[in-house]
Amino acid sequence: MFDESLLSRLLDRALQHGGEYADVFCERRRTVSYRLQDGRVHDATYGVTLGIGVRVVFGESAGFASSDDLSTAALMEAADSAALIARTAPSGKTAAAGLRSENVPKLYDCDPVTAIEGSRYAALLERADRTARRYDPRIVAVNAHVVDELQEVWIASSDGRFVRDCRPLVTLGIQAVATDKKERSSGYVGDGGRTSIAYFDRQTPEMLAEDAARIATVNLSAVPAPAGEMEMIVGAGGGGVLLHEAVGHGLESDFNRRGTSLYSGRVGERVASELVTIYDDGNLHEERGSLNVDDEGVPGQHKVLVENGVLRGYMQDTLNARLMGAQSTGSGRRQSFRFAPQPRMCNTYMPNGDSTVEEIVASTQRGIFAKSFAGGQVEIAKGDFVFMVGEGYLVENGKITAPLRNATIVGNGPDAMRKVVAVGNDSRLARGHYTCGKGGQNVPVGVGMPTVKISSITVGGTQT
Amino acid sequence: MNDARAIELACDALKLASAAGAETAEASVSIARRFHAEARDNAISKLEASTGKGLFMRVFRGGRKATLTTSDFSPDGMSDAIRRAVAQADQVAVDEFAGLPDVVAAEAVDLALFDSRIADRDGAEKLDDAIKLERLIREADARVVNSSGSNYTDAIAVTAIANTSGFSAVYSWTRAGRSTGPVALDGGVKRIAHYGTAGRYLGDLEAPASVATTAVRRAVDLFGARKPPTMRMPVIFERDVAATFLDDIFAAASAGNVAIDNSWLTDRTGSRVGSELVTIVDDGRLVGKLGSSPFDGEGVPTQRTPVFERGTLRTFLYDTYYGRKLGAASTGNSTGGGIGPNNFYLEPGAMSLAELIAATPLGVLVLDTIGFATEHASGTYSRGARGFFIENGELAYPIDEFTVAGQYVDMLAHIDSVANDLQFDAAVVSPSFRVAELMVSGN
Repeated sequence: MFDESLLSRLLDRALQHGGEYADVFCERRRTVSYRLQDGRVHDATYGVTLGIGVRVVFGESAGFASSDDLSTAALMEAADSAALIARTAPSGKTAAAGLRSENVPKLYDCDPVTAIEGSRYAALLERADRTARRYDPRIVAVNAHVVDELQEVWIASSDGRFVRDCRPLVTLGIQAVATDKKERSSGYVGDGGRTSIAYFDRQTPEMLAEDAARIATVNLSAVPAPAGEMEMIVGAGGGGVLLHEAVGHGLESDFNRRGTSLYSGRVGERVASELVTIYDDGNLHEERGSLNVDDEGVPGQHKVLVENGVLRGYMQDTLNARLMGAQSTGSGRRQSFRFAPQPRMCNTYMPNGDSTVEEIVASTQRGIFAKSFAGGQVEIAKGDFVFMVGEGYLVENGKITAPLRNATIVGNGPDAMRKVVAVGNDSRLARGHYTCGKGGQNVPVGVGMPTVKISSITVGGTQT
Repeated sequence: MNDARAIELACDALKLASAAGAETAEASVSIARRFHAEARDNAISKLEASTGKGLFMRVFRGGRKATLTTSDFSPDGMSDAIRRAVAQADQVAVDEFAGLPDVVAAEAVDLALFDSRIADRDGAEKLDDAIKLERLIREADARVVNSSGSNYTDAIAVTAIANTSGFSAVYSWTRAGRSTGPVALDGGVKRIAHYGTAGRYLGDLEAPASVATTAVRRAVDLFGARKPPTMRMPVIFERDVAATFLDDIFAAASAGNVAIDNSWLTDRTGSRVGSELVTIVDDGRLVGKLGSSPFDGEGVPTQRTPVFERGTLRTFLYDTYYGRKLGAASTGNSTGGGIGPNNFYLEPGAMSLAELIAATPLGVLVLDTIGFATEHASGTYSRGARGFFIENGELAYPIDEFTVAGQYVDMLAHIDSVANDLQFDAAVVSPSFRVAELMVSGN
């Protein structure tokens, strides 16, 4: 759809005023989604995102322009706009290298012709609705959506790289709302990955809906969360959001190159308890955060971020790697052709330790067990974070007791990582469909974790 | 020039929808030229300039609805996408509430949403705007050692909408903003703060010096911050934080959430929820403001809707679909696909923020929060925060790594003072206010 000779001409045009590097990102994304509420599928959406983004890198600066008009004149105008950055200071002329087509790894199957077609979507949602309502009479509402997406990208850069990738992504999300006249609560469960809609033949809507209904009804009897400092157990899988926020963002190379992250210049230093090892991996089969190549055309990689408590490296895109004298780690990602890439996470997780969940719970006197998080946020300069607990329980004298209502925890990334006192042997990637929103750009990511215990954290409840 | 082009594209889309079998349809087209310059260390570090188009469309057939969004305006691309959307409608259930609105904006109103100074602004001047702001934050205080960038952004756009009942309308708008993120070094700790200003008119923006001063103060004033004690006490929400609280109130008042049993305000219309001081309004007709527009995402005229009056919940906010479903008229809050705010704000009081602090013997001033509400069903508020501990009406010491938590209903009921510092620098805004008692969780 985008031919090499046009992309070569755009790269030459982009470098007309100089610059060290230019790239062109072409995208065609097609999305179908269906939404259910009140027991019926009431909306269907078809979406197309089609266009190109041109970028010129000049020293520490980048010029960027995008166009949804694919006429040659409009594309050349976008290249001219991106090129303006190199006029902010004098520079020599650069020529783009001839493009060589590169093969990409194959972590997922993708068929741009026949995917995202068909009539199966509505039935998935109706099955989820029936299951959740049947689970418990207190389930009063079910809201569900399914999304099937296919993103095709063509990426060409002035150093001669030319790659194509085709990325599928399916998502199913189910919210069940329960009420017993006195209280109202909800449970949310999602799943998906870089695969076809047939994924939900294995991870069935019944399984997911039952779990959403279970959480909603459990939360009806939830007690208000406690307030103050206490022990925290982070659940396997979904607890990985903690790694994403508390550590991952601070290890993205843009913040570190600019020196705004608390982890800047600290590779080789001890930054966490020696029980802590953290990987970011773009190479996992069919996972939501996986990429055959990133949005700069660099293959996804397995990166060791923290090893036995010691900081090993950052996640790099090409711009920041060049300025830091490093190599891209395949971490350059963007929401769409309308955005310039940023260094981002793929699938971030912690491998197994050697404690059992039973040991971890039994060792906890007073604390909370956060089985999953409903979201989180971090401020990367000082490392302060906040997480909303999705499903959480009180732990008292070594036993899991009452479910907790809407607990929030607040803490500091390095401080929490120093306080990791036990790591379970049950590491897994989270079910779910996590989206990272750095810099106003949403990209799909994966998270994972074994059960982990943190000796002290502030819980933001209302009960003293 | 783009006005006619946008209308023409919307009308082309309607013809294609009819040809594909839609009985009725609605198309909105936006064309926007966006500019962003980021400065760091006295140089431009990012420069982005693009013109983007988008088509958003709803098609109806046999009581069923489907939606289309596309950036592909090529004749083949458009007809293929519209054909697929119409075919997808057959996969959904018949919905008696689906359809075009009953009332559309009949007459044009000029809400002064377009500033030709922004449209005509010279590129070099825009770059200087960002560079100047970056220089000012570094000059303001020697402890500012770095920054995450200083930004100038603007957008010049047209929004057009047309439907198969013969309605078509268009308006142009502008928006500009400047923002900055100084990093100050507090011993070994980096403290970053963000502050910005935005408006439809260049002249409405806070001056660079004022933006720089506020941003830098927010970073350096927090030096030496520690955790506050865990206890119940009065909490003052400074206006930017108060606005994020109003975002949550909007979500709960949105008929889309009410209809799916996902709002703590369900079943509360007509009843007293907040204190006497809680008057919250959604107004799409404020001249020259960011949340204003002559009509909403389905062409329904915008209006002024009192949502809470002296504590009593008067109405939810509706688009046509949820209005029909819940038995009310649209309040002009459609975004096309959902329900969104116009200018949604809490009515200001008479006191300044300084006077409000002075009138608080013991409490907390919250300047910044992180985290967001994800469950509107139960209505629990809980955020990470930073700000100041207040003793004897004075800011005693800076605090961070704590949370404030409570139920939204209780918080609205316990708002006992509202300040006079309302500014329309976003669609959802609020003056600072104080909640008489809230759980603060620190040490």
